[in-house]
Amino acid sequence: MIFDAAFESAVDAIVAKYPQPKAAVLPVLWEVQKRMGFIDTAAEAWVAQRLGVAPAHVHGCVTFYTMYKQRPSGRYHVQVCTTLSCMLRGSDELVTHLERRLGVPVGGTTPDGKFSLVRVECLGSCDTAPMFQLNDDYHENLTLEKVDRLLESLS
Amino acid sequence: MPRVTIDGFEMDVAPGTTILQACLQRGHEIPHYCYHDGLSIAGNCRMCLVDVEKQPKLVIGCYTPVAEGMVVHTENDKVKNARSAMMEFFLINHPLDCPICDQAGECRLQDYAVTHGTGKSRYTEPKLALAKAVDIGPHVTLDQERCIQCSRCIRFCDEVTKTGELGFFDRGERSQIGIFPGRSLDNAYSGNVVDLCPVGALTLKEFRFQTRVWYLRNTSTICAGCARGCNVVVGVGQQPTLMTTSGQLDDRIKRIVPRVNADVNDWWICDEGRLSYLREQGATRLVPAMPYDAAVAKAGAILAAAARAGTLGAILSPRLVCEDVFAWKTALEAFGGGPMRVHPLRRGEDDGLLIRADKGANSTGAGWILGQSFGATAPFKARTLLVVGDTLDPADTFVPEPGSAAEIVYVGPFVTPASRAAAVSIPSASWSEADGTFVSFEGRAQRVRRCHLPLGQDARPGWRIALDVLHAAKLDAPAWTSADDVLAAIAAKVPELEGVTPAAMGLLGVPARGTVGA
Amino acid sequence: MPAERILTRNVGRPDSTTLAAYEANGGYQALRKAVGSMTPDGLTEEVKKSGLRGRGGAGFPTGLKWSFMPKEVDPKRPHYFLINADESEPGTFKDRLLMEQDPHLVLEGTLLGAYAIRASVAYIYIRGEFVHGAAVLERAIAEATAKRYAGKNVLGGGWSCELVVHRGAGAYICGEETALMSSLEGDRGYPRLKPPFPAASGVWKCPTTINNVETVANIPFIVERGAAWFSSVGKPPKNTGPKLYCLSGHVKRPGVYEAPLGLPMRELIEELGGGMLHTDRPLKAVIPGGSSVPVLRADECDLDLDFDSLMAKGTMLGSAGIMVMDSSVCMVAAMARIAHFYHHESCGQCTPCREGCGWLERILNRIETGLGLPSDLDLLLSVSDNIMGNTICALGDAAAMPTISFVKKFEEEFRHHIEHKTCLTGTLAMQGVR
Repeated sequence: MIFDAAFESAVDAIVAKYPQPKAAVLPVLWEVQKRMGFIDTAAEAWVAQRLGVAPAHVHGCVTFYTMYKQRPSGRYHVQVCTTLSCMLRGSDELVTHLERRLGVPVGGTTPDGKFSLVRVECLGSCDTAPMFQLNDDYHENLTLEKVDRLLESLS
Repeated sequence: MPRVTIDGFEMDVAPGTTILQACLQRGHEIPHYCYHDGLSIAGNCRMCLVDVEKQPKLVIGCYTPVAEGMVVHTENDKVKNARSAMMEFFLINHPLDCPICDQAGECRLQDYAVTHGTGKSRYTEPKLALAKAVDIGPHVTLDQERCIQCSRCIRFCDEVTKTGELGFFDRGERSQIGIFPGRSLDNAYSGNVVDLCPVGALTLKEFRFQTRVWYLRNTSTICAGCARGCNVVVGVGQQPTLMTTSGQLDDRIKRIVPRVNADVNDWWICDEGRLSYLREQGATRLVPAMPYDAAVAKAGAILAAAARAGTLGAILSPRLVCEDVFAWKTALEAFGGGPMRVHPLRRGEDDGLLIRADKGANSTGAGWILGQSFGATAPFKARTLLVVGDTLDPADTFVPEPGSAAEIVYVGPFVTPASRAAAVSIPSASWSEADGTFVSFEGRAQRVRRCHLPLGQDARPGWRIALDVLHAAKLDAPAWTSADDVLAAIAAKVPELEGVTPAAMGLLGVPARGTVGA
Repeated sequence: MPAERILTRNVGRPDSTTLAAYEANGGYQALRKAVGSMTPDGLTEEVKKSGLRGRGGAGFPTGLKWSFMPKEVDPKRPHYFLINADESEPGTFKDRLLMEQDPHLVLEGTLLGAYAIRASVAYIYIRGEFVHGAAVLERAIAEATAKRYAGKNVLGGGWSCELVVHRGAGAYICGEETALMSSLEGDRGYPRLKPPFPAASGVWKCPTTINNVETVANIPFIVERGAAWFSSVGKPPKNTGPKLYCLSGHVKRPGVYEAPLGLPMRELIEELGGGMLHTDRPLKAVIPGGSSVPVLRADECDLDLDFDSLMAKGTMLGSAGIMVMDSSVCMVAAMARIAHFYHHESCGQCTPCREGCGWLERILNRIETGLGLPSDLDLLLSVSDNIMGNTICALGDAAAMPTISFVKKFEEEFRHHIEHKTCLTGTLAMQGVR
């Protein structure tokens, strides 16, 4: 499905940057997730075959690194930082507010598939706490009002 | 050679020797889980931490090479505290499965908990729950909770079989061993991960719940699966009959595990060899159709008549021990002779690891005794055939072509097409039921030992039957009373096996004179 | 008079991420000078003399690290330069600032380092969450390559150096240099046994040097202005150069602040940071080096923020992530949250960390939620002690050290939770947010 000629040449370009094909596992998994939204076992098997590693190895990488998704998440994947500095500036209240507002517990996805909510560790934005990462983008210096406005604009 | 002091004892060791290996040379084993001589060093269990003077922290003995002047302590308080600390960590999430775990009695966690643990747990939190009794292959079951993440099994599949089926999944405390969804741990050596696993995380399906290991009577012998001659330990059940769960009478083989022999099989055995006893237990034993004396008399008469007429030939299985082969050769010569050949038994290819295409465990020894090189024996036609032994291979039933022999005298442990077509068949002891000698494809003479009493009714060692046939025919027979006697006769008569005695073979075998470079 | 902005001189300027702006402000002159008139070993010597110490957390002398590399390149074993942009230490966000706002400074420093260690390719291992930062770096690399600052035949001097951005995918442990190498090679981020050290055998078993983003950002200035100048900044001889301090928590102006190494903590918090967030909530505690170091009580905070001063006080500068806590903070809850981090991030390879981090968090959670036992404090100390020094990498120590310091320095609070099942700070500690 996604493994078309364009994808193959993207993978070739990635592999060319490393002295050994195994090093391309992480970047190629990112390519898969960029196109599919997540990484299933069929994709893992494809990557393993293409890069000459065991499928168990690829599955081991997908399950080790927390940003790879084995299932589709919501269209808007809300990742709230709750490590110490964010905790000090109200991350826990933010999480509770989001759970209430979205109607899903942490780890869940809204029935319409729009929003998923997770807690993550330090995102390296401690000076703009509390904050979250929504898909690729950081949303910083959050207040509950800001969050509400953002969610409305996305709904 | 660096000189190192370990626990006050000075020793010189070869450069590159690790502390753990140096201790082993002295016969002292530092406790460890993840280290294995046959695999790369992982250094993750941290059980082998030892104290090296002038080092700020404890170091792992499995990985640290000795250096000139190094002073090591492996039994001081620092080390003992570290060991009990590691044991405590191992046990906090480990399930209390001992009552239902096959590993009990040979479990490193149990052994080290007794020797190095504190005796009580300070852990009062909930334990991690993971998948139990996961079917990961035709012969192996995985219990993820019991696993201590030593990675031996993963390293085996990566480095020895190079099949890479197993891996770590998830991260941190939740790490588990697993197999890729939809795949199977089905390489030809999968059972070795069960031996490697220091705990009961990987268990053999065929051994599951069969018996407790302390009820096994263990015998060191040689696998009869192919010409490699892997060294094994055969475990025979001797659990009191009342407690046998399967309803079978005991004194049967419950499992086969490899023995270490650096010159033959290192630490491993293939699955087919490991489970070969199941083939034997599943085959139908030959039951005598007439009393033994009558059978050997009839056999003697047939063989004598055929020899006089010049129509006698013999086909021997390559799985027979040297003693049986030599005894039948001696007997046939006493009757007057006739062509003899070793039946070629081949399946598949040499796999470059242990498995040989030649499934005759003693094809080399048999060939030497008959004076024939392997595969060079031309078929012959004989009106009367003495057929001895078995192949235990459903694709190769060891049957002479129809019409090629009018009558058959059969001696062997199991019912085969040849035994059914025979004029007289005499049951003999199988591979695990009599002492003997195998010669591997590399020319190594190795001792086969009796593991249990014959399961077949009236089954005797083959060489014994050969003598009795001679006696019944009133011919001169050697005065052998044991397999050792036969071997002594072989050593005197067969140049390649000169000097081969049970003592010379010991537990690890001995290269015979026919061996290249012997 | 505010200190001169060296590392952050371009931050805040318009178009600061562009090559044009970087060049206009004197950028890539250092690279020109090095490639044109310095030898790799000469450059290493200069960095040695500068006294620069690694800015990732360990504070290892940079020039010394570079000098471990072989002086000749075996064609079968090329040299590799790796930039550790995995910035995941809680409380730390300085590398992100440099990458997102002055990427060419990072690239020039990378190229200089690669030149010094005779590498022809440098991989920038950037944490997966920094999507924006990776994009900025890619654009900058394209610009630099087009202008011959990177790629083949750099500035016509014969030496080539390719720059590759390699994204991580969510694993704090990949900031540990040997785990970074494992991850770059396409494995799970497992740290490796040492020796061998990276300079002897690193990625793909080749000689390798790994440096932090901020560390290499200092190199252009050392080349431009000389080691003597650099070593006069800060607190010579052992704590030299400018430093980026990350201030977060209960202050009015959290942010990255540049100052010469040795900035007094009080000055950072009260002047640069604008003082405590709430005037009625005084300072209670500070973690000075990212969460992996022992905590300091408010009465222990009259000290300079440099490597040796903090070490003398029983803690560390680490990644200079200064996390400020005021009187409203329940130290039990704070420590439980820190423990959760290490539990989540432990790679699981070795026994004490894999089993011990989870155990620490569970004990702390019980204490926080009123289910603590009197024996729990000794247990926390004992478990921490059993982890420390017995692991493959420093993550185990990073979990143990804060635990020990919190329990010892705030013992009264922990005991109150255990005995009275309530919190001394009065905050609703039993948040149940797990």
